[in-house]
Amino acid sequence: MHTSKTLNYAAHAARAKTLLQDAELLLADDAGLMQVENDMEKTWRVGQDEVVKGAGQEGSGGRQEWKLDGGPYRSRYSRNGRHLAIVGSTGHVATFDWQTGTIHAELQLQETCRDITFLQDQSFFAVAQKKYVFVYDRDGVELHRLKAHIEPTRLEFLPYHWLLASVGNTGYLKYQDTSTGLLVAEHRTKAGACRTMAQNRHNAVIHLGHQNGVVSLWTPNLSHPTVQLLAHLGPVVGLSVDPSTGGRYMASSGADGTVKVWDCRNWKGAVRQWTTRGGVAELEWSAKGALAVASGGSVNVYTKPSIQAPFAPKVAPPLYLTHPVPHRPLTSVRFCPFQDILTIGHNAGLSSILAPGSGEPNFDSTEADPFEGKKTRREREVKGLLDKIPPDMIALDVDFVGSLAPPTKLTTAVNDKHDVPFARLPRLERLRVQGKVDETELEGGIEVDDNTNEEGDGNGKKQSKEEREKRKMRGKGKSVKRYLRKQRKNVIDPTAVAIRAKLEKQREERRVAKAIEKGEMEPKKPSALDRFRRS
Amino acid sequence: MVKISVLQHAPSTHLPARPGDPTPTSRNLDPLMHPFARARERMRALNAAKMDRIFAKPFVASLEGHIDAVEVLCKKPGTVSTIASGSWDGGVIVHNIAEQKHSHRIQGAHKGKVSGLCFADGDKLLSCGVDCNIKLWDVSLQEEDSQQKPLNVFAGKSPFNSLDHHRSDRLFATASNIVQIWDETKSAAISDLTFSTATETVTSVRFNLAETSVLGSIGSDRSFTLYDIRTGKAERRVIMQMRSNALSWSPTFPTSVLLASEDHNLYTFDVRNLSSPLHIYKAHVAPVMSCEWSPTGLEFVSGGWDRTVRIWKEGRGTNPEVYHTKRMQRVSSSIFTADARFVISGSDDGNVRIWKAKASERLGIVTARERAAIEYRDSLKDRWKHDQDVGKISRTRHLPKPVYQAAQLKRTMLEAQRVKEERRRRHTRAGQSKPKAERKKIVLTEQT
Repeated sequence: MHTSKTLNYAAHAARAKTLLQDAELLLADDAGLMQVENDMEKTWRVGQDEVVKGAGQEGSGGRQEWKLDGGPYRSRYSRNGRHLAIVGSTGHVATFDWQTGTIHAELQLQETCRDITFLQDQSFFAVAQKKYVFVYDRDGVELHRLKAHIEPTRLEFLPYHWLLASVGNTGYLKYQDTSTGLLVAEHRTKAGACRTMAQNRHNAVIHLGHQNGVVSLWTPNLSHPTVQLLAHLGPVVGLSVDPSTGGRYMASSGADGTVKVWDCRNWKGAVRQWTTRGGVAELEWSAKGALAVASGGSVNVYTKPSIQAPFAPKVAPPLYLTHPVPHRPLTSVRFCPFQDILTIGHNAGLSSILAPGSGEPNFDSTEADPFEGKKTRREREVKGLLDKIPPDMIALDVDFVGSLAPPTKLTTAVNDKHDVPFARLPRLERLRVQGKVDETELEGGIEVDDNTNEEGDGNGKKQSKEEREKRKMRGKGKSVKRYLRKQRKNVIDPTAVAIRAKLEKQREERRVAKAIEKGEMEPKKPSALDRFRRS
Repeated sequence: MVKISVLQHAPSTHLPARPGDPTPTSRNLDPLMHPFARARERMRALNAAKMDRIFAKPFVASLEGHIDAVEVLCKKPGTVSTIASGSWDGGVIVHNIAEQKHSHRIQGAHKGKVSGLCFADGDKLLSCGVDCNIKLWDVSLQEEDSQQKPLNVFAGKSPFNSLDHHRSDRLFATASNIVQIWDETKSAAISDLTFSTATETVTSVRFNLAETSVLGSIGSDRSFTLYDIRTGKAERRVIMQMRSNALSWSPTFPTSVLLASEDHNLYTFDVRNLSSPLHIYKAHVAPVMSCEWSPTGLEFVSGGWDRTVRIWKEGRGTNPEVYHTKRMQRVSSSIFTADARFVISGSDDGNVRIWKAKASERLGIVTARERAAIEYRDSLKDRWKHDQDVGKISRTRHLPKPVYQAAQLKRTMLEAQRVKEERRRRHTRAGQSKPKAERKKIVLTEQT
């Protein structure tokens, strides 16, 4: 019965795989591409003018320049790639549908703004402002001031968990549940101000880049990083996780001008590293696995097989596309989902360029739909809330959900024999098997009794039985002993253990004092090193 | 020459062709497009399990009318909504459960309790009582007549405990101190069936539904007896550890018979091999007083002295669906309706209650979309039933405190018994006492 069921699952999995291959035939749209005919031609020699010419009427709409004051600018696309939110460092915030050109909200906040992100869809966005994070609705009305997020520098929204994560100059990573409003977790990173954050879209782990060159990976349920690695010498300035391989690769860039690609399954050394011209580099992976590196005065795009293949020499991988942007500094690069568009934020506004082959051509309407209407959006919001995954379930390995529980390390063997099931063991044996039995308790108790006996012997050799009993009883009512007696539940309790240790220490001191008094021991001479001793 | 193409979505394929049309959807089954698919599906399964418990409102209605405890219920073959109930006060009521009304009412049908009730051909109802009479009533629609005369009265020699009508012929069987076969047209019993060595009170008798001449009975002798009316003899008989209170033949599996036992369990037997039961069904905490198969033969209902009604899946011996209310007393009779959607219970408090067979089923018209959603939720629950949280939510049932405590006590006692038995075995010589399977303990002797 059992085997047949597992066989069924295997058959089902195989069938699902073939069905998936069949379904790929039905995909409607084709990915963009840039192809050369011989080795002498290079794709990076193709300028944007040529690409626009080749893209035709429809495709060329993606090539845009927004000249704006108050830069440098950062931008963020909504999940369906239809809406764009931009923020200038001096407080110019705007959200708009970039295809139709309708502006939803335009605000002059008149204070430093460091980052912006949409929440579940275009109807809310959060801005990391000078002191706090603020949440605005689609029309730009301020809804919330999140006072817990102090001096935020970077924001990320985890769409399937409905969590807004922020990190700031205080070095705290904070998770706010945007559906209930609760602050789910706040982690002290202990690495000072943090200016680099990225999320892995496939397991909702937050990657932070620190000033000391450390990259750390965080989940809400752990107060320490799940992974910590020294990625760069000097501050980490850019981070991005590859969505095209299910979050398997991470790219990081440092203030020292190097870019490194890491394999998230094996952190031992970077897969590939190279040095960029012009220093500090911003990074972003596209849905199809193109890596954009904005540094100095240009944006370079590298494509997939070469950037992820291990390669020892520290040279840049073959370039796919390059575009000069003469407005330093370049502060953000974002790929537009489901489009071949790369948006670069810089000092003079934003520019969008076409990067053929970088976008996922076929969207799934149940996840994100660029063409969705009002009703669909509402329905998606409700469905998303119903399917909201609790924050505790974020882990490095997403597949732990629905997999078999690991075999327990506890064994019910008593004297190496398994003949009695756990439920029928006596309580003491059950506790022993669980590793909870307090063995120190018994020994301690015996020692106390021994001590009193010794004292009795020392004073007056012979005592009547009643007197011994009486002596034994004395001191039983002492509050500490009573406490310890009440704690005698055969379960290891940290407080009881601590008190027992303290009593032990006091007893030892008394014994030493007595020995010194009798002349059996010499008092310890004070030493210069005593100042380092822990009391 | 460099070949360049840039990704474009044609609005014509993704936008509705005319205003008002639904927006076309597109699918991409690539797993990378669906992050957290498993975790989200688990959340959906969890919600489905919760919704199932939220909507679990099994009680439909209570049919009043009897002034004393309801003793017996029967449904009319070939109809969905007609059932009859007989009570300790001697009254018989024919209910229309669709309209929740009395369609016919006979007061004082018998002196003392009505112990057996059964529909005959057409609109005729047979009832028997402890007043040693069997009466045939005409219950076709008519105005209420308290002094209604029976069509026919069959006089017996001793109080009757049960009766059942033959599937097709105009015959019926009664249980008193012997089993008797009667013809509707004759005033005296046409044959007496009794096991040669038995001197017991027969408490219940039922015709097999497929092999229509085979008859089963249970008696105060802790016995289950099989008869054949063609030979006119008792064929086989088994004596069990405890007596049974009710029996029911499976409608789909003719050799399978269900017994509701005094020892809190239900047993299914294959009549070809009566040495041990096929299955033991354990959950009641008091004697089981009644049982009946669903017309599908996949589940059955039982009512017990512990004031609960339980609905069991065939072959699954634990964790039945359990129904109870504050005011429902000991359940002396329980039946499935002919459409297998409802369960009727009659109890000591004089009420006949209608329950849904599936606690969270929605009554009324269900649209196709709703139906699809329900089916999706069911399959999710099934798929994730091994998950700790999902399984716990769909398994847990609230029980009244006395029932819960009785179950605890029972578990403790059984555990103690088992431990004692184990210790005894450990201290006897090896091989001297072997553990006996639970199923082998039930039947004491088999007689032919």
